[in-house]
Amino acid sequence: MKRLFCVTLVALGLMSAVAYAQQAPAQPDKEFVEARGSVKPVPLPPGGPTPRMSDGKPDFSGVWFPGPTGRANAWSVVPDERVVEDPIPFQPWALEKYKAMSRTQVELYGNANVRCLPPGTPGMMTENPYAIRFLTKPGMFVHLIENNNRWRVVHTDGRPHKPKEEQEPLFNGDMVGKWEGDTLVIDTISIDERTWIRDGWFHSDELHVIERFRRPSMNIIEYQFTIEDPKVLTKPWTSAWRRYTLSVLDEDLTENFCTNNEQVEQFLKLLDKENQGTAPKGEVPPEP
Amino acid sequence: MKATVGIMFCLLVLVASAPASAHHAFAAEFDAKNCSDVTGILTKVNYENPHAYIFLNVNGEETTFQLSSTSNLRRGGATPAVLNASLNKEVLVRGCASKNGEKNRYAASFIKLADGTVQRLGQDVEGIFGTKVWR
Repeated sequence: MKRLFCVTLVALGLMSAVAYAQQAPAQPDKEFVEARGSVKPVPLPPGGPTPRMSDGKPDFSGVWFPGPTGRANAWSVVPDERVVEDPIPFQPWALEKYKAMSRTQVELYGNANVRCLPPGTPGMMTENPYAIRFLTKPGMFVHLIENNNRWRVVHTDGRPHKPKEEQEPLFNGDMVGKWEGDTLVIDTISIDERTWIRDGWFHSDELHVIERFRRPSMNIIEYQFTIEDPKVLTKPWTSAWRRYTLSVLDEDLTENFCTNNEQVEQFLKLLDKENQGTAPKGEVPPEP
Repeated sequence: MKATVGIMFCLLVLVASAPASAHHAFAAEFDAKNCSDVTGILTKVNYENPHAYIFLNVNGEETTFQLSSTSNLRRGGATPAVLNASLNKEVLVRGCASKNGEKNRYAASFIKLADGTVQRLGQDVEGIFGTKVWR
């Protein structure tokens, strides 16, 4: 009886796999492992009107998760919405360098999370899958980051950057903020070259990042950033708008310190094997 | 227990053909095409970052499983208390082998705890939960 059940399940699986191949990307009609912790994503509705501070500007305060559900999205049972963006306008030398890297090299040398290093700007927003908390008041934007318990405080009163002679490379960079209507604009320079924009996308000491935040309704924050890097890119590049949603459970940030990082050692072992030819080279980074 | 594991095996076989793209650290470090069910005695839980670890005694050999971060584990219900409740008991873990050839080192996607609960522990690179690949 058990064997019959198993055979039936496998047959159903094969049939559904064929069906999937014919009708992709529709969800295949098959049974999956039900596990506690998997998230069935229910997009959060817009909610009420945008909350505002005493000066009339949008108040971004709250705990936010990347993605549409207002909760941790790591174990969602459906794929993330695909973000469509322009290709990275690398200069020829930079494109050559980018394409020469293996996946293992990218992870080892360019993924801040692998090395427990600060992901920098805009990585603190885009390479951070965990909860964040914003606290805003007139003239100030506070960003608390669960990932490694990091933070940034940005004055939003339109003040200029530090004088050039006082600039120094910083992981988060030298940040100033201002309002353009209901959009908060944070302008960042002097960013440490150890941070990368994203997988394989390295930058120079002339990186200039312009971030834009807006809260069109109670439950939603939208985020976009522009990269200017005249030593690496042929022209500025602007991201798509990304969505962050208000925590539906009014969660707090949890403690998250990087205290036992085995990843670097493991990747170095893999890189050794790749270089010796005893492990296949990892896939190359995606097309820029 | 045996019957449940048998059914689970059937489910795993039938979803093995599920699509799995992989542009993330997991795929760089672990082999999504070399995954298996491992049964053993849960001997240790290290609840830490950037990844938690659990250790199984499998026929006298220590086997290491890398889990997700404590942030994902806590929010997904795999708290220290939940995992520790199965210490010194038999569990089943779905794991994908390390690409660097290190013996008995896996990344885990779920655990069948001693009380029968199936609990997520990490990314779904095989397509067995429904599914998505996430970095």
